[in-house]
Amino acid sequence: MNCVNLSFAYLRHKALSTALTMATFAAGVAMIVVLLLVNSQLQNEFFNNLKGIDLVVGGKGSPMQLILSSVFHLDIPTGNIPLEEAEKLSKHPMIKEAIPLALGDNYQGFRIVGSTPAYPTHYQAKLKIGGRYWGKAMEAVLGSEVAEKSRLKPGDTFSGSHGLNVGGELHSEFPYTVVGVLEPTGSILDRLVLTGLESVWYIHEHHHHDHDEDEGELHHEGDHDHHDEDHEDEDNHEHKREVTSLLLSYNSPLAAVSLPRMINSMTSMQAASPAFEVARLTAFMGTGTETLTYFAWFLIILAGFGIFAGLYNAMNERRYDLALMRSFGARPGKLFALMMSESLIVSLISVAAGLAIGHLLVEAFAIWINNSKHIHMTGRIFLSTETWLIPMSLVVGALAALLPAIRVYRIDIFKTLVQR
Amino acid sequence: MLEIQNLKAGYDKKVIVEVPQFNLLPGEHCLILGASGSGKTTLLSTVSGLLSPIAGDIVLDSNNYNDLYGAAMDEFRGRHIGIIYQTLHMVSALTVLDNLLLAQYAAGLPQDKKKAVHLLEHLGIADKKADKPETLSQGQQQRVAIARATINNPKIIVGDEPTSALDDNACETVMGLLLQLASSSNACLVIATHDQRIKRHFHKQITLGGAQ
Repeated sequence: MNCVNLSFAYLRHKALSTALTMATFAAGVAMIVVLLLVNSQLQNEFFNNLKGIDLVVGGKGSPMQLILSSVFHLDIPTGNIPLEEAEKLSKHPMIKEAIPLALGDNYQGFRIVGSTPAYPTHYQAKLKIGGRYWGKAMEAVLGSEVAEKSRLKPGDTFSGSHGLNVGGELHSEFPYTVVGVLEPTGSILDRLVLTGLESVWYIHEHHHHDHDEDEGELHHEGDHDHHDEDHEDEDNHEHKREVTSLLLSYNSPLAAVSLPRMINSMTSMQAASPAFEVARLTAFMGTGTETLTYFAWFLIILAGFGIFAGLYNAMNERRYDLALMRSFGARPGKLFALMMSESLIVSLISVAAGLAIGHLLVEAFAIWINNSKHIHMTGRIFLSTETWLIPMSLVVGALAALLPAIRVYRIDIFKTLVQR
Repeated sequence: MLEIQNLKAGYDKKVIVEVPQFNLLPGEHCLILGASGSGKTTLLSTVSGLLSPIAGDIVLDSNNYNDLYGAAMDEFRGRHIGIIYQTLHMVSALTVLDNLLLAQYAAGLPQDKKKAVHLLEHLGIADKKADKPETLSQGQQQRVAIARATINNPKIIVGDEPTSALDDNACETVMGLLLQLASSSNACLVIATHDQRIKRHFHKQITLGGAQ
């Protein structure tokens, strides 16, 4: 007999109340885990998409809209920019990398993005075995989620629909051929169909010929102030090509000072800094997220109290047996060790269960929301912040045992055991 | 072995019972008699070291209770005083055998499983050693309580009404076992009771609410 197996004997004996205490404790821990996981993954996903993109250049309009449409693929684009100007800018000495994007169509709601292989490479995307990047027009590479949802595989063909939302006119006369599928990246790429810029131009040039009255091929949802101008341009140069936006990364930090100003004042294009716009966005939504954070902390503290109360009650019920052990000569250290080991065993088992349940809940949630194209989540990652839960739970367990353990020495054995 | 001088015993600063002078030699037994409320349990608890004397001295084997406080008294009691409570206070989470080992564990003595089993055999309840106490009959539980009180070879065994809940047969068996266990380790037996059936086993008596 020692304090550990004595503790187990007590825990087994009061199986129901032990289970209830552990359930409360584990539920609290699980809740914290869920909050941590969801929060970190939402943030991660957000910042994954921003990775290494210093500046986005597109048509004039709202800078926020430009960032949302070109980096997060959420909003509609601001309008197109001439390929010629885009190419000129790409050669600027302060620019390390320039990735052109051409939007316009979707496949089952997933955006079809015309770009160069530099775009997936920027996000460190890898092709699944047996795939390759597009070599000519109308070849496409699917993001992991698109491939999973559509069940398309290399060799299959599909047709895009006009516009960025489901329900547009089908370009059935211009089918794409899948030539590759990407491994999951945890970024927006997972939900995109990638193709060459040529494919987008190809479809819309022909589309334009077929429907003369449909004026704005690429920028059909674009800024109307610039529309007339564009239209004239089109009339003048049949084959003047455009892109939707350009993702830039700088060569030197100095670029951040001069480039945006240069672009905004000297060209017909607009430059927007993702970091700045995202900061603006978070400041705008700040009150909401702050309230949510406070609420989460409130819940965490509440869970802490619940854990403490459960353990404290369990320990308090033991007063009677502890008085008996004192009457048999048990020293303070021995009773203290007994209380502590029991409380710590409960805490340890509960925190382990809580961690497991938390991850399972997030995983279940992830599967459930898998249908949404804008959030991607998993319960199969472990955050370093979660390791803090273990010592913190043990501290709560120790505190819960401490008070009753001290009170054991105030117990009047005579009154507890004899008089009653 | 046990010497009592000018003892005033009670609790909450209220004196309930007074014993001017009393001695027990090693192996001597004594009965505490008296009507309900006369202070039998109070005196017994004071002798057990569960209550501190309000005044006067109790000396067990040349240890004066007035010199023992808190944890020191607990430890002294654990090693030298075996207590059979009126309500038996079995630890229901533990098996019968573990209830005996708990007394050794609490007292900080080596846990001697063989001795515990041997004791249970001697008391005729060895077959119950792996059972929980609440599955035992009153008489069987009484025997477990006796085993637990005597396992550490105390110098004095104190019992509060150990036989009053038992029928005549069980009462005789239990008394016989108690006397036997006490004499085998030359311990004193101090029993508070109003059970007239066991009077004949004792030479010395303290009658409360009257003269010694």
